[in-house]
Amino acid sequence: MSRWAAGFWVAVIAVALTGAGCSAKKKGLGPEDEGAGKMGEESLTGGAGSLDQARAGTLGERAAEGPLKDVHFAYDSFDLSDEARRVLRESADWLNEHRSSRVEIEGHCDERGTVEYNLALGAKRAAAAKSYLASLGVSPDRLSTISYGEELPLCHESEESCWQRNRRAHSVVVGE
Amino acid sequence: MKRAWLVALLACGVILARPARGQIRGTIFGPGNRAFPMAVSPLHAERAGDEALANQFADIVSRDLTLSGLVRIIPREQYIESAQDSGITADTINFGSWSVIGAVALTKGTLERDGDHLTVEARLFDVYQRRQLAGRRYRGGAGELRRMAHRFADEVMAQLTGERGPFDSLIAFLSTRGGRFKDVYVMSVDGGDVRRITSNDTINLSPAWAPDARGLLVTSYGARGPALFSVDVSSRRLTRVPAAKGVNLMGRWSPDGSQIAVTFETDGNSDIAILSRDGSLRRRLTDHWAIDVSPSWSPDGSQIAFCSSRSGAPQIYVTSVDGGQVRKITYDGSYNTSPNWSPKGDRVAYASRIGGSFQIFTVRTDGTDVRQITQSGGSNEDPSWSPDGRYLVFSSTRSGRARLYVSDLTGNNQAELTEGNGDDTSPAWSRWLE
Repeated sequence: MSRWAAGFWVAVIAVALTGAGCSAKKKGLGPEDEGAGKMGEESLTGGAGSLDQARAGTLGERAAEGPLKDVHFAYDSFDLSDEARRVLRESADWLNEHRSSRVEIEGHCDERGTVEYNLALGAKRAAAAKSYLASLGVSPDRLSTISYGEELPLCHESEESCWQRNRRAHSVVVGE
Repeated sequence: MKRAWLVALLACGVILARPARGQIRGTIFGPGNRAFPMAVSPLHAERAGDEALANQFADIVSRDLTLSGLVRIIPREQYIESAQDSGITADTINFGSWSVIGAVALTKGTLERDGDHLTVEARLFDVYQRRQLAGRRYRGGAGELRRMAHRFADEVMAQLTGERGPFDSLIAFLSTRGGRFKDVYVMSVDGGDVRRITSNDTINLSPAWAPDARGLLVTSYGARGPALFSVDVSSRRLTRVPAAKGVNLMGRWSPDGSQIAVTFETDGNSDIAILSRDGSLRRRLTDHWAIDVSPSWSPDGSQIAFCSSRSGAPQIYVTSVDGGQVRKITYDGSYNTSPNWSPKGDRVAYASRIGGSFQIFTVRTDGTDVRQITQSGGSNEDPSWSPDGRYLVFSSTRSGRARLYVSDLTGNNQAELTEGNGDDTSPAWSRWLE
C-alpha cells in the first residue's frame, strides 16, 4: 500500500474513532464511505420517536436512525454492559457538544414475559441509560424517559437474534 | 346498550328442594360429572315472520349452555315436537316425545314482537317429572334479544347447579384486528356482538372494568407518554384520569368503585399504589427497588395480589390495602405473573412460565392447592375470572395468532371465543350486567 493510501486509511479510521462527535464535512473520505453513517454529516434532530415511526410504518428502518445509538441489554436485565457504557459515552460526547438538545430515552423489551412486567422492565432500562448519561455530565433536565415495554419491536421473529435487537434503550433527540 | 327494560318473573311452579327420584333441580354439577343431555327448543313465534328471532334465542341459549360444559345440547333436527305447533306449559307439552330422544331437561317458550318491542317467555322443564322448574318473561327492544337469551341461560344454570351462570356479562379485550396498534374491544361471553371501543391511533393497554360494567380503565399512549384513561362503553368517550406525580398505569377499580390500584412508576421504578377516584395518590403499597406490577383486588376490597421480582424472578404476592406485611403465595414455578383474584375470594389465577411458554394456574390465597388449568402448545396468558367464579377467560397462541379462550376450572372444557385477523389479548371479564 502506498504511503498516501495508508495515510488515507489512517485518516478514515481516525475519523471513525471520533464517532458521532464529528460535524465536519467529508474531509479525506472516499466515496466508499458515504453510506457508513458514523462519519460525515448527520442530522442534529435525528429520527422521530418509535411510536411516530410505527405510525409512519418506518419503525426499525436504518434511514430513521438519529445521532444517538441504541444500547442493548441481556434478557430480563437492566444492567449496562461494557459495550452499552461505551455507546452511552459517545452519546454523552454528542450531547455535551450540542448543549441545547433534549433527549427522550425509550426503554424496550423482547416479546417474552408479560406486557405489564415488560413495561416496568423497559422503564428500568431507560432509567439506567439516563442515570449513566447524567453521571457523565449530561444534565438530567435534558433527559426524559418513557417505556414501551414489548409494544414496539423492531422485528417479530421468535428467536434470539431478534429478541436481542428489541432489548434496547433508544434515544431520540426531541428538540433544541 | 339500553338499560331501561324490565324483567318480570313468572312465578310458576315453585318446587321445594326435596330429593326425589329423577329430580334434576339443584343437582350439583362439577368436575367428574357427565354432561347431561337437554333440549333447547326454538321459541314459538306468535307472529309469522319472527321465526328467525325465535330460533336465534334458542341458538344463543344452546351455545351458552354448551360453553358451560355442564350439558350436552341434543341437536335440533332430532326434536319431534315443532315449536310452532306445540304447547309451552307442563300440561300441553308432549314430554314423551322429548324423553324418547334422551332429553332430561327441556326449554320452551314464546316470542312476541310488536314493532321494535319484544316479549319473550322462556321456561325450563324437568322432562322425567313432567313439570316446570323455572319461568321468565323478558321485555325489551329487539336489540336486546341476545341479552335475554344470556339471562335465561344463567337462570337454567342456577336451576341445575344452584349458582347463577356467567353469561349476562361482557368481556373486554385488546385486538390488533382493526389496525396497526392494540385497540380496546368489548364482546358478549359467547364471542358475539364484538364492538370496537377505541380508535385513537395509539397503543392501548390493560382494559379493566368498572364495577357497574359501564366503563373501563385503559392505559393509552397520549402526547406525553402512557397515561390512565376512563372510557364509557356506550359513548366511547375517553377521559384522562388525572395523575399523581409519576406515571400511573394498568389501573384497576376497587370492587366498590371508590379507588384505583395502579402500577406507579417513578424514576424507572415500578410500585403498586392506590389512587382515589379523582386520581390523587392515596397510598403507596410497595416501595421496593424490585419490579412490582399488575395489582388485582380481592372481592372484599381489603387485599391486593400483585407480581413482584423482589425474590429474583417474578412471583405473586398479597398485601393488605392498609399496608403491612407482603406475603408470597406462589412457590411452584420460576416465573409467575398476571394475578387475578377470584370473585369467590378463595383463589388467585395467574400465568406461570413452563419451558419457555405460559400456562394458566390457580392457587388458594394461602399459597396451597396449586391447580393447572391449561396444558396446551403456545402460550396462555392474562387469566380473568367469570363473575360466578367458575370460569376463566385468557389469551392463547395455541393455534397461531393470539385468541381468547374460555375454560372451566377442570380445564377439560376449553373453547375458542374469538377469530379473524389480528391478535386478541388482555381479556377482562365484567361483573353481571344490570
